[in-house]
Amino acid sequence: MSSTVTPAGTPAVDTEAIAAALEGITTKWITTPDGIPTVELPVERVHEALTRLKTNAEFEFCTLVTAIDHFPASPRFQVIWQLLSLARNQRVRVYARPSDDDAVVATCTDLWPGAAFSERECFDMFGIRFAGHVNLRRLLMPDGYDHHPLRKDFPHQGIQPDRLYREWDAERRGQWESEKDGGSQ
Amino acid sequence: MGSLTPADAQVDGGFFATKTEAFINWGRKNSLWPMPLGLSCCGIELMAMLGPKFDLARFGAEAARFSPRQCDLLIIAGTMTWKMAQAVRLTYDQMPDPKWVIAMGVCSSSGGMYDSYAVVQGADSILPVDVYVPGCPPRPDAVIDALLKLQSRIEREHPLKRVFGDFSGPEGDEGTGEQTHQPNFGLGTSHLDAHPHTPSHVNEENKQR
Repeated sequence: MSSTVTPAGTPAVDTEAIAAALEGITTKWITTPDGIPTVELPVERVHEALTRLKTNAEFEFCTLVTAIDHFPASPRFQVIWQLLSLARNQRVRVYARPSDDDAVVATCTDLWPGAAFSERECFDMFGIRFAGHVNLRRLLMPDGYDHHPLRKDFPHQGIQPDRLYREWDAERRGQWESEKDGGSQ
Repeated sequence: MGSLTPADAQVDGGFFATKTEAFINWGRKNSLWPMPLGLSCCGIELMAMLGPKFDLARFGAEAARFSPRQCDLLIIAGTMTWKMAQAVRLTYDQMPDPKWVIAMGVCSSSGGMYDSYAVVQGADSILPVDVYVPGCPPRPDAVIDALLKLQSRIEREHPLKRVFGDFSGPEGDEGTGEQTHQPNFGLGTSHLDAHPHTPSHVNEENKQR
């Protein structure tokens, strides 16, 4: 892969360490405008590849875990991990495309505990589940919300979770009323 | 409402209650303890308001407490998301009566520019609001103005109506002091939706409307 656009001052992109770490895994190299080496991997081998990138290629920092929804296309989801090697000042980006009906990928919180929040946000916004995550709850939206707002089939105007609030409120008020009744008797 | 000067006092009917109400209102309006609920950037202006330059202590409202149990003025400063709405409502419910609410900034007043799935479109969707302050964020002057408006409103309230029921006040009474709250989101009505300062019979009428 040739890097056409490299910001001034950054070292030349060296893909050899990445290629060596990913040896044996079917990879597809993708050229991106920002010059960050990008590989697309099969979903079931992503965790293995991330482990190898961390241990063999010194990518010790996970910058980002997120996703893209290419809705009418299939497979619609594209999960993205972006890693940084502090030792070599180099980045790498990993793509994977889980299947539409059961969007599950392996968690990387065992490698980078800090990825937990990114994965929770990704689950909240896209509905992609991260197998092995110890606390995969919604991050930004209230628990029990039925939708995943960053999906492309989510309505543009949005769906307010006021029903959840009302249910919570009604339940709480019911408790108060019953406590009040019990107290007066 | 009656004044605290004996010369203005009207001896005819309700003398004792009017004087007591004036005294209670005077005490209440000059010792508001704000609950600073800084949810986003408005919270910064709120800090400026409490600081030395704008000095909310001039109006007796400088005792910001971070426990709702000690407060009687809830200042919702900033964007309220639906996830935060539960916490805001709990804070409001934990504040002892009497209590007042200032919605500071457009976000808490109407949702503001966040016409979004995540943001409550106005704090009055979930609790009664006394004064709305426009601005994004409003200057501390604007919130101080809101506080003064709230003080003049407290002046006109009838705190003893809740104890003694309705009684005819003296002639020339400014306003009824009654406040009604209509949740704009069609939330279920119960006695908890009633405005805390409204006498119970008025709330009953509102519920039937």
